[in-house]
Amino acid sequence: MRIPRTRGKAAGGPRHLIRGLGVLTALSLALTGCGSGGDSGDGDGKTKLRVSVWSMAETPEFQALFDAFEKSHPKVTIEPVDILADDYPDKVTTMLAGGDDTDVITVKNVTDYSRWSSRGQLADVTDAMPAGGEKDLAGLEAFDSDGSYYALPYRQDFWLLFYNKTLFDQAGVDYPEDLTWDEYVDVAEQLTEDGGDQVYGAYQHVWRSVVHAVAAAQNGGDQLSGDYDFFAEQYETALELQDSGSTLDFGTATAQQADYGTLFESGKAAMVPMGTWYAARLIEATQNGDTDVEWGMAPLPQRADATSTTTFGSPTSFGVNKKAANPDLAKEFVEFAAGERGAAAITEIGVVPALQSSELIQKYLSLDGMPTDKLSAKAFEPDEIALEMPVSENTSDVDTILEEEHELIMVGEKSIEDGISSMSDRVHDEVLD
Amino acid sequence: MALASPQKTTPAPPGRSSRSVQRRRVRRNTLIGWSFILPNFIGFALFTLVPVGAAFALAFLEWDAASSPEWVGLDNFERMLDDENFQVALTNTLFYAGGHIPLTLVASLALALVLNRKIRGVKFFRTVAFFPYITSLVAVAVVWNMLFNPTSGPVNQGLEALGVSSTPGWTTDTDWAMPAVIITSVWRDMGYYMVLYLAGLQTIPAEYYEAARVDGANAWQRFWHVTLPGLRPTTFFVLVMLTVQSFKILDLIVVMTDGGPGRSTLVLAQLVYREGIRDGDYGYSSAIALVLFAIVLTITVVQFRLNERRDAR
Repeated sequence: MRIPRTRGKAAGGPRHLIRGLGVLTALSLALTGCGSGGDSGDGDGKTKLRVSVWSMAETPEFQALFDAFEKSHPKVTIEPVDILADDYPDKVTTMLAGGDDTDVITVKNVTDYSRWSSRGQLADVTDAMPAGGEKDLAGLEAFDSDGSYYALPYRQDFWLLFYNKTLFDQAGVDYPEDLTWDEYVDVAEQLTEDGGDQVYGAYQHVWRSVVHAVAAAQNGGDQLSGDYDFFAEQYETALELQDSGSTLDFGTATAQQADYGTLFESGKAAMVPMGTWYAARLIEATQNGDTDVEWGMAPLPQRADATSTTTFGSPTSFGVNKKAANPDLAKEFVEFAAGERGAAAITEIGVVPALQSSELIQKYLSLDGMPTDKLSAKAFEPDEIALEMPVSENTSDVDTILEEEHELIMVGEKSIEDGISSMSDRVHDEVLD
Repeated sequence: MALASPQKTTPAPPGRSSRSVQRRRVRRNTLIGWSFILPNFIGFALFTLVPVGAAFALAFLEWDAASSPEWVGLDNFERMLDDENFQVALTNTLFYAGGHIPLTLVASLALALVLNRKIRGVKFFRTVAFFPYITSLVAVAVVWNMLFNPTSGPVNQGLEALGVSSTPGWTTDTDWAMPAVIITSVWRDMGYYMVLYLAGLQTIPAEYYEAARVDGANAWQRFWHVTLPGLRPTTFFVLVMLTVQSFKILDLIVVMTDGGPGRSTLVLAQLVYREGIRDGDYGYSSAIALVLFAIVLTITVVQFRLNERRDAR
C-alpha cells in the first residue's frame, strides 16, 4: 500500500474521480444498449416494415411475398427478422413479452395464434380482410375470436400421402388410390425391404398430429375435450406399422432427429403422409438434382367406413403486433398477403395459398415439376379439411400433455389404453378442472 | 503490516484534522475500488440483480407480461403442491443431482490423480480430458444421442459384445433417459473439475508423502490420510459448484431429450422456462424458480456449515 506523496493531489482526487465515474457510467449505459428500437425511417425516405419470419433460406414464400409487396409499394422496404424455424414460437413469444416493436408477426400455427391473441399481443385486423376473404379464405374460421380476427391466413396446407412411384412399380403394387388405413399398413408391409438396402414401406413422422389430428379429423373427435378414446384406432395402425418394421421406429427417429424429407428423397421410404408444403420442397430438390425419386401424391388413407375424403390442415397467417412501429402499413401487408396478389405470388413457387379459387389450384398443379397424373390432382381436392388443432386458451397446455403421453405410447412405455387414460386424466386435472 | 508502518513514521498530526484526512483517504480508496467494479456491476445489476429481485416479487403475483399484474399471495406456492408436473420435475432434478454430483466428483478426482504423475505426454492427456468441456454443448448432445442409439449405437453394441442380453433403451426409455443424460454430463464436466483438483494437488507438500512413506504407509493409506485431507478445500469448492450447477441443469436436457420421453427428464429449470416464457405464467414460473433457489441455498448453507465445523476440529 502506497501513501500519496503530496497532500494536494490527494485532495483533488475525489473530484477527478467523480467526474471519471460519471463518464464511466455513461459509457457503460451506452455499451449495454439502452437504446430502444422504433425507428421506422430509412435514410432514403423509404419506410421500413419489419416482419418476423422463420428460416428464410428454406422458406422461399417469404421472399416471394416481400418482393411482390415492395413492387406494389415502392416506398417501403421490408426488413425480415429471421428466426430459426425450431425456435420460432418460443422466440416470438419472448419478443412479444419483451415489448418488441416488430410490425408484422407471422403466425406459424393456430396454437401460437391462440397464445398470442389471448394475451392481447396482436392487434385487431378484421378491417384488413381482403375482398371476398370471408368466403374464399380457407382456414379463416380458426382465427375467428367472437367475430374479430387477430390474424389472417395467407397459406393453407393440408395433409396428403406422398409416394415413390418407382418403389411401387418394382414391388408390383398398385398406386395408393383410396386406401383405408388397414390397406395402408398392408401395402407398407409389401413395400418394406430389409437388409443392407433398407426400404421402409411407410414413414410416419414423430409429430403427434400424424396420429392425433388424423384421428380427430376422420373420427370427428375434439382434441381439447379431455376424452381421447377416438385416438385408439389410429394408434393401433401406427403401432402395427412400427411393430412389423415397416416404418422407422419412433425411438430411433427421435434419437436420430430423422428428417422425413431425407428418408423419402433418398428412396428409403415408399409412402410418407405429410403436408402440402412438402411438394414445394420436393420440386426444388428435384430441380437442384438432390433427388431423382419419381413421386406422386394421393389422398390421405381413410377409415374403412368413410364415404368422403377427410384430411386435416393448418393455416399460416400474418398478424400485426400490438406494439408495431408502423401499424397501418403492417395491416396493409396482412391484407396484401391474404389477398389475390399475395396468393398469386406464393402459388408461383409451389405454396398452397389460403385464398383458394379453382383458378389458383389449376395454376398450382401446372407448376413445373409438379406431378401431372390424375391421382395427384385428386389428392388436391379433399372433401373436407379439418383444423389440425382447435383454438382456445387451453390449446397450448393440452398440446404439451398430449405430446408427452404420445411419446410414451409410441416408444412402448405405455399401452394405448393407459396412455389414453393418462391423457384424459392429466388434461382434466391440469387444464380443464 | 505494510499499512501500519508508514503511519508510524509520519509525525502524528493533531487529532481532528488527522481523522478527516484519514476519512478522505478511505473514501478515496473506496471510490477507486467502486470504479473498478462498476462496469461489471452495472451489467450484473441490469441483467441479474434486477431480474432476480423482480422474480421474488413476481412469485406472489399473477402476471402474463401483457396485462397488469395481480397480487395472489401464496396461491402460486399452493398450486405447486398440487401440480404433478412440479413434483415430477423436482424428483427428476434430485435424481440428476444425486447422480451427477458424486459421479463427477469421483471421476474428476480420479482423472486428476492419474494425470498428476510425471508420465510421458501428460500434457496431451490433460488437454484431452479438458476437451469435452470446451466442446459445443449441442455437438456433445447430438453425438451422445447417436452413441446411445438403442439399436445401432456403439454403446449398446459394446454391451451386447460383452454379453448383455437386454440392453437399455437409453434416451428412448423412461427409466434410462436420465442415466444417459447423467453419463453425458459427467463426461462433459469432469475435465473442468479435474483442472481444479490438479491445482489442489500441487498445494500438498511433498514432505508429507515422504514422511508418510517413511512411516510405512502404503499407497492407499497415503491417499486416504494425506491426499484427501489436503484436497479438502478443493473438494469443498468443487462440491458447491457442482451442486449449484446440477440443480440449474437445463441446456443439456433441452438439447438431448427435451424432457422426454414423456416427462422422464423434465427438470425444474425447464419447467420454469415452460411456465414462464412459453406459457406466459410469469408468477407461477417465478415461484418455482424461488423454490429452486431455496433448495440450492439450503444445501449450500449446509455444506458451508459442515465445512466450518470440520475446519474448527
